[in-house]
Amino acid sequence: MNRAAGGSRNGRRFEFVDVTLRDAHQCLWGTRMTTAMMTPILGAIDRAGYAFINILGGAVFDVCVRYLHENPWDRVKLLCERLETPCDALTRGQSLYTFELFPDDVVALNSQLFARLGVKVLTVYDALNDNRNIESSLRSGHAAGMKVNAMMTYTLSPVHTDEYYVARARELVKLDADFISIKDPTGLLTPERGRTLFPAVVKAAGKVPLKLHSHCQSGLAPEVYEIAMQSGFRYGYTASEPLGNGASLPATEDIAARARRLGFRTVLDSKALAEVAGYFACLCETEGKPRGEIAQYDAALYRHQIPGGMISNLRYQLQTMKIEHRLPEILEEAERVRHDLGYPIVVSPFAQYIVTQATLNVVQGERYKTIPDEIRKYALGYYGRLAAEPCDEFLERANIRPEEAVTEAPAEHLEPWLPRLRAQLGSGASDGDLLLAAFYPPALLAPLRKPAPAYAFRTTPLHELIRYLGSRRDIEYARVRFGNTDMTFAAAQP
Amino acid sequence: MRNEHLSYEDVLRIVELVKSTQFSEFRLKVGEIEVHLRRKDGEAAAPVPVRTPQSTPPAPAEPATKRAEAPATGGATLLRAPMVGTFYRAPGPGSAPFVEIGQRVEPDTTVCIIEVMKLMNSIAAGVRGTVTAILVENAAAVEYGEPLIAIRPDAGAV
Repeated sequence: MNRAAGGSRNGRRFEFVDVTLRDAHQCLWGTRMTTAMMTPILGAIDRAGYAFINILGGAVFDVCVRYLHENPWDRVKLLCERLETPCDALTRGQSLYTFELFPDDVVALNSQLFARLGVKVLTVYDALNDNRNIESSLRSGHAAGMKVNAMMTYTLSPVHTDEYYVARARELVKLDADFISIKDPTGLLTPERGRTLFPAVVKAAGKVPLKLHSHCQSGLAPEVYEIAMQSGFRYGYTASEPLGNGASLPATEDIAARARRLGFRTVLDSKALAEVAGYFACLCETEGKPRGEIAQYDAALYRHQIPGGMISNLRYQLQTMKIEHRLPEILEEAERVRHDLGYPIVVSPFAQYIVTQATLNVVQGERYKTIPDEIRKYALGYYGRLAAEPCDEFLERANIRPEEAVTEAPAEHLEPWLPRLRAQLGSGASDGDLLLAAFYPPALLAPLRKPAPAYAFRTTPLHELIRYLGSRRDIEYARVRFGNTDMTFAAAQP
Repeated sequence: MRNEHLSYEDVLRIVELVKSTQFSEFRLKVGEIEVHLRRKDGEAAAPVPVRTPQSTPPAPAEPATKRAEAPATGGATLLRAPMVGTFYRAPGPGSAPFVEIGQRVEPDTTVCIIEVMKLMNSIAAGVRGTVTAILVENAAAVEYGEPLIAIRPDAGAV
């Protein structure tokens, strides 16, 4: 690099993609941010100067349906209508929001619906980095008029070398991706690795702009973002400060300060950012949800690679099985299982596969006595190309014969689903209903028919205080005075 | 000017104080901001969620701990759950069950699925014989080691 110090970068911009409404609460709140929690602050988020706002991902879609009983399409539509900043929605490629593979007609209908609801950027990744699994998303996303941001998922293994990512990036350029992102779901990137990986990928991507999406479990992500900027990445995914760091992504405020110190221009509105941060800091407190804490460097993370959110979920599952004390053993076994399976990336759905197989191995006291069907299918290549061959012990226990291996593209063997779904649901069914019926059984969808609550679209600190005091059943009287304001609340008589 | 407005920081501090006290009466004056609260007698200090009646996941289904013990299955092999999970008799909703009572099975015949942590585990009979009882309801939660299906092995089958 023979740039003149600082000066030559004058005028170069580094831009931001907000993840507060998506990955931040996915990592810190178990994905439990409701639409009602978002709407009051949308105006300030919109003014903050983000290049894009990420509003949807696989877990958000699934939690909306299963736990929040919100229709995810209604959320997407509302956010796209309210935000002038272009909205970005993420899918798991051929699996969309679930762990299954869907035929191309379902993937295409999803792209068409996104575009109609107002999504401007379709972000897509495949958990095996098998780009055959994102081709139909790219094609249908472009056909529907959206930009497509293709992600490569970062992991550590003997086979996931810089050359491996350069080869994947070249494939994405050929597929006409509008953006290429490096997605680091567990925060495993280090500044050292960034110094070799990032320039290599920038070179391979040519004119296609790059984005970095890295989590903060190791505490190193902010430095890694600096290396990305210096290597020519144009965008970084970040979250409002109270929901940044820890298992989440870096704080926008922190990365913006670093960008400016390195001589990059940013177009963020610090007043709007402060308003957003103030709102979410209060929301964490009133809802009893955690804020992101800057993580301490943890060497074990680089071995088991399991995301923090997943560990807390596993701990909860082990508690219900009354075997919580075996968590450390299971994490150690997870590292071995990952090696045995040919280094699948520890991201959905393979994170779940690794953790479940490790749990089975530990609980049964015998390795691979029970092998989930999905793991067997993974090993056969049903979901896509493996990064490396599974070990012999596993192949033998899974009773896998070489002639069973699947070599065709994963969705190729899937017949179109829409004709059957249309016949089942009738001609009056909307595209959103058809898609939901492709993903979920009817019983899970029934609660989605309840009418949406009335949303508030603006708020102030005083509003938030009143809402909070009003929510406390134990308070019968409250008086708040400041400036020229003097307010008294009394509990309604039961 | 500062005192004309309440800031999010002020609200945060007030909420923290409300949450951390158990007093029945509470008066606070910080600079120009004054807060006076009174609690109902004996009321637990539990807030209701502000905007999210649905925000907490439903409690996981209680494992069926009091399920009747497996009936006597003289001479039959009991197939047991390899893990805590959910028992399924059929490959999918609306599909025919893998096996029925009276059906003959080979050791590698899939007789049920146990869903463990969202993944499906096909369970094989493990023995050649005849299904004599199905001990668990479809879609029921099962405990580790719980008997699922009784199979009477053929004479001489291992």
